Amino acid sequence: MSDYRRFYRQKSIGPLVILFSLFALPLALTIQSGVWEEGSFTLERIVSAILDPYTQRILLFTLKQAFYSTGAALLIGLPGAYILATYSFRGKKLIKALATIPFVLPSILVVLGFVMFFGNSGTLNTVLMKVFDLDDPPLKLLYSLGAIILAHTFYNFPIIMSIVATAWEGLDTKLEAAAATLGSSPRKVFRTITLPRLVPSIISAAALVFLFCFNSFAVILVLGGGPQFTTLEVEIYRQARMMGDPSSASALAIVSMLINGILFLGYAFSQRTLTVTETVAERAFEERKPSPMRTYFILLYSLFTIIFLLGPIISVLYRSFSKGASRASETTFSTTWYRQLLGFEQSSSHMGSALTALINSTLIGVAVSILTVTLALLLSVSIARRKKNSSFLELFGMLPMMTSSVIVGLGYVLIARLLRPSLFGTYLLITLAHTVIAFPFALRTILPSVRSLSETYLHASYTLGFSPQKTFRTVEIPLLRRTLLTAAVFAFALSLGEFNATLILSSSRIVTLPVVMYRLIGSYHFQGACALGSILIITSGLAFFLGEVAKGDSV
Amino acid sequence: MKMHRFVLGVCITLTIAFPLFSMGAQKEQQLTVYAYDSFSGDWGPGKEVVAAFEAKHDIPVKVISAGDGVEMLTKVIAEQDHPYADVVIGISDEMATRAYRADLFEPYHSPLLHEIPEFLHFDSEYRLLPFDYGNFAFIIDSEMIPKEDWPTSLEDLTHPRFRKNIILIDPRTSNVGLGLLLWTIHIFGEEGWLDWWKAMKDQVLTITDGWSGAYGLFIEGEAPIVLSYTTSPVYHYTYESSTRYQALIFDEGHQATIEGVGMLRSSKRKEEAKLFIDFLLSEAQLPIALANSMYPTNMNTALTEGFAYAPKPGVSLRMESEVIEKNLDRWLHEWTEVMSR
Repeated sequence: MSDYRRFYRQKSIGPLVILFSLFALPLALTIQSGVWEEGSFTLERIVSAILDPYTQRILLFTLKQAFYSTGAALLIGLPGAYILATYSFRGKKLIKALATIPFVLPSILVVLGFVMFFGNSGTLNTVLMKVFDLDDPPLKLLYSLGAIILAHTFYNFPIIMSIVATAWEGLDTKLEAAAATLGSSPRKVFRTITLPRLVPSIISAAALVFLFCFNSFAVILVLGGGPQFTTLEVEIYRQARMMGDPSSASALAIVSMLINGILFLGYAFSQRTLTVTETVAERAFEERKPSPMRTYFILLYSLFTIIFLLGPIISVLYRSFSKGASRASETTFSTTWYRQLLGFEQSSSHMGSALTALINSTLIGVAVSILTVTLALLLSVSIARRKKNSSFLELFGMLPMMTSSVIVGLGYVLIARLLRPSLFGTYLLITLAHTVIAFPFALRTILPSVRSLSETYLHASYTLGFSPQKTFRTVEIPLLRRTLLTAAVFAFALSLGEFNATLILSSSRIVTLPVVMYRLIGSYHFQGACALGSILIITSGLAFFLGEVAKGDSV
Repeated sequence: MKMHRFVLGVCITLTIAFPLFSMGAQKEQQLTVYAYDSFSGDWGPGKEVVAAFEAKHDIPVKVISAGDGVEMLTKVIAEQDHPYADVVIGISDEMATRAYRADLFEPYHSPLLHEIPEFLHFDSEYRLLPFDYGNFAFIIDSEMIPKEDWPTSLEDLTHPRFRKNIILIDPRTSNVGLGLLLWTIHIFGEEGWLDWWKAMKDQVLTITDGWSGAYGLFIEGEAPIVLSYTTSPVYHYTYESSTRYQALIFDEGHQATIEGVGMLRSSKRKEEAKLFIDFLLSEAQLPIALANSMYPTNMNTALTEGFAYAPKPGVSLRMESEVIEKNLDRWLHEWTEVMSR
């Protein structure tokens, strides 16, 4: 019987070696480049980076914007969590579905949607100007700390909302009922019974959002501007690409990794030790009907959520079909951007590369999806079937989450400097970088399913005389099919929208959908960027749809 | 079997992908040109110029947008051991010292240099040849700010009435931004220029990385004043028959800039590169001048009536390249110090 354990142990060697070289190697190069100068070890760069007042100000700004953004996301997200967990109302499913948008929406699309919706000539201002008959846009939000925080809030409050709501729904309401029976006011019940049990999930959600905002890149790159509104990640990119100084970038990357490590450990700790799972026989809240005041509040909140989550996306779709005769004139309906995209019409260099970008992104996405799922499956089975060291392996698989994608990209920039790859080689490096970034998500999707798969199936198969290899192929993989498909689609979508690592790795010859979108945004060709963004949305949507179809016939 | 199919799948995908990925590398015979974003952008002269050159000489040209000027130069320096471009368009005089230091360009005494006035020959060794020039200026949206409120000097731009109304450009990444930095040093001197920038922090809507971003924002109507060139209105008159956007002329003077084109030492297609440079200095002069909104360097180029809308500054300021070379790193450092606060 220990035969099969050895089989699974051996299965883990391949992916571990590959993962190690995909992730640890670039990381090691980054660290080496940060502490190595002319053949000898030196901490000078890191020390001078930390002591440099400019770096300190950037670091301070990075922390400040992440702190405010997290606060704002909590402020808006928590009432939503309350509503979702306490009341049943029409449209609740829709809100829950909308709340998953930030998890799947690429950051570059978020920024584009944000500008299209909140910009001086964006949807919100246009509507307000029409309604109130104004000459000037009433909301001047872009290009300030406020804009950054607003974009982060819009991007992250659904994360708070869904994590806390899920925890809230999981609470056993008998305790509240008991407290109420004993004479506590609803306020007191909430404060002394409900809230303390929610704190772990709130901390955990807030830590996650803080981590996201700390590492935010595209939002800052587009909405920031100038040295005053620069974060650590943007400065790493600037040093590496615009100043041509990868060593300074590496020194900053090490600083960033240290902070990320602390934040991530905090998050992991809060998840592990604070989260208590309660077994709930039946939820009592389901049929609770809100009072008229509360109904009004729920309606308002739902409307707000729908407008703020769907508004930017719809603005992107809408703007992709509009065209001005000249740059200053009124806009009309037009499919010209799509015709340019598909090469039916002459276009500028950025638009001209859009079709290539679509093909490249799709191919990279498929390759990343296959690679990631294969590696994650092999590692998952060997973690799940192992008695010793399983949590160590799991932690190792999660390591890429501890570094930002900009830093993963920087590591691959350093590899590229060593290898001097051809154009194809550069695309290959991008594929590998995407794999590293997507891997932890695939592992998190696949591992729980493998764990919950009862080993009796395997034992039955062995008893019937199948080899471990054959059992793995004909029993385990078919049983895991749905999970594998979910992970594959997720990895594909992640790769399709991956911007940070790709941009830092890209030369002017590299074109993927998000990079071309960024270049179009950079030259304020918003309609073209919107057309590309729409195609990105449609392609991801198609992938999710195909995934669902493929799952459907398996059961 | 599944496992093997996975591996097979990866192999097949990559094989199919290979020709697509290497598409750019296959066309060995083509001339590769790096240009700043606005040259090959939607409103730039790139398309027209390249089509005309290809028709005349039957040499395929690939133009690559390589970011704003300074970013492009950084890119070329970074790629020095592994060069890709043959010709680089748009290294301006204020950042040229970095290019000389890296020894990127091969001198080329074009026969057309005779048609270019002496004062524009900013590189005496002709590693960089001047193809257009102009003066930096602030452009104003006349529909958003009434004429009596227009600023009349750099100092005037710090007036509270322009709060959040101005778009500037980062001198670390853009030659236009760098031009303004030098301009302020000219006007306010070493002791005063940083105070002006400090005061401008409340005035700016944003500081973009490059000119394209800044001008695009301006046209989108996000702010009524942007840093650009005195010649920018020519574009709007010529292509849109609009005089809405006008250049602000300050009596104290305007920083001048001369843009150069050069042939990389590493190029394997130097003959074609020379033909392309000659083309830029002759037939391409007018389209470049119009779309780039700059003055042509070739004296024989007849200007169109649109140029009447480009006001000539009374004083044109230029800084010696030795002075720039000696001080630039320090200035940029001081600028970053002040602007990041």
